[in-house]
Amino acid sequence: MSLNRKLFGVAAFAALSSVCGAAQADVCDTPSALGDLGDFSGEVITIAGSMEGKDEEMLLNTVSCFEKATGAVVKYSGSRDFAALIVADLRSNNAPNIAIFPQPGLAADMAKEGHLTPLGDDLANWMANNYGAGSSWVDLGTYADANGNENFYGFAFKMDLKSLVWYSPEQFEDNGYEIPSTMEELIALSDQMVEDGNTPWCIGVESGNATGWTATDWMEDLMLRTTSPENYDRWVSNDLPFNSPEVLNAMEVYGQFSRNDDYVAGGASSVATTFFGDAPKGLFSSPASCLMHRQASFIPAFFPKKGEEVANGEADFFYFPPYASKELGNPVLGAGTLWTMTKDSPATQAFFNFMSEASAHEAWMSQGTFLTAHKAADLSAYATPALRKQGEILSNATTFRFDASDLMPGAIGAGAFWSEMTAFANGQDAQTTADNIQAAWDAIK
Amino acid sequence: MITRTFSHLVLALIVFIWIVPFVALVSTSLRSETEAKTSGFWTAFTPTVLGHRFSTHDKGSTVEFIEMSGNIFDRLNGEKSGFLVSGEVQSILIKARIMNPDKPGKTKLIRKLVPAGEPFETRGGSLVFQSNGDFTWTFPEATAPKPKKLDVFINQDPIFGADAYIEVLFDNKNVPNALISSFIVTIPATIIPITIAAFAAYAFAWMQFPGRDWLFVLVVSLMVVPTQLAFLPILQGFSGIASWATALNAWLTDCEINDSCQVASKSFASLWITHTAFGLPLAIYLLRNYIVGLPKELLQSARIDGASHLQIFTRIIIPLSVPALASFSIFQFLWVWNDLIVALYIGPNNASDLVFPIRLQKQLGTFKDQLHLLNASAVISMIVPVIVFLSMQRYFIRGLLAGSVKGG
Repeated sequence: MSLNRKLFGVAAFAALSSVCGAAQADVCDTPSALGDLGDFSGEVITIAGSMEGKDEEMLLNTVSCFEKATGAVVKYSGSRDFAALIVADLRSNNAPNIAIFPQPGLAADMAKEGHLTPLGDDLANWMANNYGAGSSWVDLGTYADANGNENFYGFAFKMDLKSLVWYSPEQFEDNGYEIPSTMEELIALSDQMVEDGNTPWCIGVESGNATGWTATDWMEDLMLRTTSPENYDRWVSNDLPFNSPEVLNAMEVYGQFSRNDDYVAGGASSVATTFFGDAPKGLFSSPASCLMHRQASFIPAFFPKKGEEVANGEADFFYFPPYASKELGNPVLGAGTLWTMTKDSPATQAFFNFMSEASAHEAWMSQGTFLTAHKAADLSAYATPALRKQGEILSNATTFRFDASDLMPGAIGAGAFWSEMTAFANGQDAQTTADNIQAAWDAIK
Repeated sequence: MITRTFSHLVLALIVFIWIVPFVALVSTSLRSETEAKTSGFWTAFTPTVLGHRFSTHDKGSTVEFIEMSGNIFDRLNGEKSGFLVSGEVQSILIKARIMNPDKPGKTKLIRKLVPAGEPFETRGGSLVFQSNGDFTWTFPEATAPKPKKLDVFINQDPIFGADAYIEVLFDNKNVPNALISSFIVTIPATIIPITIAAFAAYAFAWMQFPGRDWLFVLVVSLMVVPTQLAFLPILQGFSGIASWATALNAWLTDCEINDSCQVASKSFASLWITHTAFGLPLAIYLLRNYIVGLPKELLQSARIDGASHLQIFTRIIIPLSVPALASFSIFQFLWVWNDLIVALYIGPNNASDLVFPIRLQKQLGTFKDQLHLLNASAVISMIVPVIVFLSMQRYFIRGLLAGSVKGG
């Protein structure tokens, strides 16, 4: 049995690698050349993360460029239960070489327990100089270790732009709607849609044991549009309490969208139970069940044709606009995955050098749903005009802020904030919601 | 008589409740992606009105024409090989803005369902369609209009196909690999505990040694230890064993030359050990209770004839205990086959070594929107336990009754 299994595995692997081999050739052929990374023939690097499906394929394709350049073998294991599994693995000495944290909160917790290896000042300085808004990316990956010393642990790679509203140009044309350029226009358009008998928004926050994160994104985008970036920063560090008037106001504005039965497809009560990946499908159903969907740049992967809609003009996006009356500029909300070293080895260090090469970024850019802040990366490498347009939104931003729930401690940003926003979607009032989150925060101080 | 009819009715109701999800699963797995997504499985067996979106012609065409004709079904089916839409076209939904009579200066959206045979205006031309899907689009003068996408409602004939199964089984090796991995985990994880448990059960039932009853109570009480609680210590243990094995490997072989000394702590063997450990208490308990009920005279006469413990065990106990052994192996097989969490934490995490429940869970992430594929995989994963159960069913029922009826 075991021998058969091995043979089958070898055959399967050979078949697989020969299939990938053909596709990888173009992925690794990037505008910028890959520098010398050293030779690590036969060495194995293990990576654990939460990316699955299409993201996993693109990750494997990108990583194959490293394998080709160095001879090392990279093994990736992706699971939707990454957050639970990585904690067990790290605490039981089963650490992979690299862990990709989608949430800095959890990475900071693991750094505090002493499970992460610092990446060193050289890499931190490199990032500060070579990433757009570099020092803020360094801050995002800097945490305190077991002794309270701040070190650089998290290498941001693969960024998402969150302040986007997706729509179907055909539907807008049929109904005679214009793209709004201010929040006032967006609200007026939503009302117009309701008056016309359409439903403006599709909103879904269900996401298994991460249910609620979509709602926190809405909240953060609205915080940036209703109050100053300074207040946003104070909110992240809880110098501005959750139940302060500024935060409550943003939550009320979010409520005006999500808790309005006329605004949301399926009614406000469906928000908490709709899977976030199913929500945008309403744009393309026949007849369309909603006309707009606010979600990050990755969402086309969940469209019925897996994002082909964006390329063939069935779907497009516009910037989630700010209030004309508030004069807060053009704020943009984003996020990035953080690659941390959980088990040191020379090949692993070479892998981090690989990620600092423009070529590695371009390899993934050419496959789609990948945004980067790497200044040297060639923008022509972006797979689609849509991605380039997102890059423009990123560069036109007057304010750039990271996903607040990612920056808050794990117990809040990946805990109380999610669950309480879900309770808010289920009808709990804003004051109680904010008080509960603040109480959870006070409890961990 | 009345009570019997009543109990039959209740039984039929229970069977019905149990069978509905199964029918839903199987029928959804045999439907096309769009249908499975837009309508419930109970509509799959009768003609149903479903909405589709079709475009009048391909994008980028610059051919000028006065009259264009086509067929809605041809446009919808296009290059598709399976699940061709057929039926009767009922209506097309059109939308237009007109001046609002109630609010001067403002426009109002009107929507209308146009039935077959009635012409309507679109992109300056007049479009008319028939219920068989044929449409003609006429313009006052030759133009090359942009393609128009229209919502069309079709009373659709039921259609089934095995496309999802073919895609799941042959498009890539994920599901076949998962099937093999699941067998690699399940078969030893069933045989090992049942072998150990049979020996232990015999000892607890028929051998005299001090502290026997207390030891048995201890073993049985281990049944209450939840697996989840033990993950971290178990993993730490395996990680320790793996590092010894790595050192031993380096000492005994010349693996250092090509860096292959590393022994993985999460492997199939870790799963066998874990499932064995957590299956043993129940196995020992069940088998001991069965074996203790075997006729005493049989064993005594065997002993008088000079049989050793091992001979009694292999010649008498084992053949007589087949029902109990079979019923426990079904339990253990099903539990290990369906186990997700132990495999997730302790099993190998290479993409090619994932067991079926993990593969299904991963498909949930990627295929949550492709329910037909997920359902096809789920049906495949169900087939194995069903075969195991049906083939061992008669032992299973006897085994359940084991010990309850004298002489059973």
